Amino acid sequence: MQLKNIDRGGAILAVAVMAVLPLVFDSRYLMGVLTVAAIYGIWSVSWDFMSGLTGRENFGHSLFIGVGAYAAGFLNTLWGANAWWSLPAGMAAAVVFALIMGIPTLRLKGPYFALAMLSGAVIMQRLMLIFWEYTGGEEGINGIEPLIRSPLYFYWFVLGVLAFTVALLGGLARSRWGLILKAIRGDEATCQAAGLNVTYYKIASLVISAAFAGMGGALYAHYQLQVSPQLFAVVTSITIITMVYVGGMGSIYGAVGGALLLTLMTEMLRNFGEWRLMVYSVALILILFFLPRGLVAPTWNKMRQRWAGVKS
Amino acid sequence: MLEILIFGAVTSAIYAMLAVGFTLIFGVARILNLAHGSFYALGAYGAYVLTTIFKVPLLVAAPLVVIGVALFGMVVERVLIRPMRTSQLAVLMISLAVALVVEQALFLVFGSEYRNVPSFSDQKYVIGGVDVAGQRLLTLLVAVVSIGCLYLFIQKTRLGSAILAISQDPEAAQYMGIPSDRIFGVVMALSAGLAALAGIMAGPFLSVQPSMHLLPIVKAFAIVVVGGLGSIPGSIVAALMLGYAETLVAYGISTSWTEIVSVAATLLMLVLRPAGFFGKRAAF
Repeated sequence: MQLKNIDRGGAILAVAVMAVLPLVFDSRYLMGVLTVAAIYGIWSVSWDFMSGLTGRENFGHSLFIGVGAYAAGFLNTLWGANAWWSLPAGMAAAVVFALIMGIPTLRLKGPYFALAMLSGAVIMQRLMLIFWEYTGGEEGINGIEPLIRSPLYFYWFVLGVLAFTVALLGGLARSRWGLILKAIRGDEATCQAAGLNVTYYKIASLVISAAFAGMGGALYAHYQLQVSPQLFAVVTSITIITMVYVGGMGSIYGAVGGALLLTLMTEMLRNFGEWRLMVYSVALILILFFLPRGLVAPTWNKMRQRWAGVKS
Repeated sequence: MLEILIFGAVTSAIYAMLAVGFTLIFGVARILNLAHGSFYALGAYGAYVLTTIFKVPLLVAAPLVVIGVALFGMVVERVLIRPMRTSQLAVLMISLAVALVVEQALFLVFGSEYRNVPSFSDQKYVIGGVDVAGQRLLTLLVAVVSIGCLYLFIQKTRLGSAILAISQDPEAAQYMGIPSDRIFGVVMALSAGLAALAGIMAGPFLSVQPSMHLLPIVKAFAIVVVGGLGSIPGSIVAALMLGYAETLVAYGISTSWTEIVSVAATLLMLVLRPAGFFGKRAAF
């Protein structure tokens, strides 16, 4: 009970600090960084929900992000739909792709899912360049309307979405449902023997994960006011995976911590511009070797246990 | 018609060189190496650096590059992959991270613009009214010879039998005194060298830039799924199928749609027959 209260307090405090930060430091730049960090938070949490819980690593999360963003872009610029339609549209588009990729591959054991997702994202990026007449090629789609005109209100909205996502997915992860997903990570054959439809749970969790990734993609499109094929790039997926690894796999809230930490840290490395992705890739290798359990979630675990007076 | 036959064969040859190495290291060591495309990229860049910057003749540079990349593959296997081998997913993660480190290193050194790799032959041949660049024919020849040599090496030599033994039953092979860790190093070197050779041969007529390692991985994966994970004859047959399918689509419909073929083939195969045409098990 004690631990639960500390968790709740920590979450409220974190959201409050994030919300107040742009008011304290009145800077457009900081607000931009925080908005991007919050969007990366949504992406990381959605990745962690599927891959962290079931242990099926998704190397092509950028597929869902890109599809969501392009859906928003097409809807907003070509058909002139109201910007608010982008969020459900991005979710729906990503869900369709999740079903296309998930149904053939998640029935199988082995690395098929991980590799098929990687292939899917690489090919989608190529298609965006090949069919440039429709997608704008390298330039992508420009002239997307902002969702909310004021950057501060938009940031608060994104932060709200992030908090909602974490609350919802975190709740799901702690429910019976999440327990089944974690059991699948532990031993799939036993789950099957216990009469669980393992494939259904895996595909459903991918669909949920994709829906939030697609929505995050739509938010990103309305933040950048343009979309480009770079969203589909493998580095986007790797950035997200690194964030989750830093946060601690399977903890949901850790992923947000990882996303915030890494986004803010790379902003400090801004002078190294070109080196940013190199830093991410090397960081990933180092974490795999030296911190396989991540950084944020284990640290928080230790801190709250000390406050609650629990001896670990 | 003849055009499709020739160009399809060249495409298939490159795919086969990539896929055979990819499937070999999986079949023997159960390593799905996402850095396989990086060896291909390093092959092309290595040839570029040695010939244009250091002015080494290509005939000397090519074997140097192949040996260099093979050694690099051995180091990657020894230092990064071997400690992670207990977990399939950790191997995927670490090899993908290696692939991105190589990509970023190439980007930081050479920038993102396209590089020209010199070709062995600038001659053009006319076969039955079809113009074919000599380099393409040579690529076909090199692929056939190198894969043939690899096959003979595995079937006829002592080391080859050790490789076969491990791929059939790793535990039994170890009980017979086969040093499996050392064999993994050898296989990794072979697979990396073959990929580098493909990069050197295909470099002159493909785009050489830092992210070039991604498509080969996609293609190799598609081939290996169609042919069956771990089966060398399967991957050769599947490479021919994919190479010709892409060429047919390019001539019949439009070059724009060729990239879809590999992903469509992968997904379709996983629905219909996940074990592939020549694979024994559906999953491992």
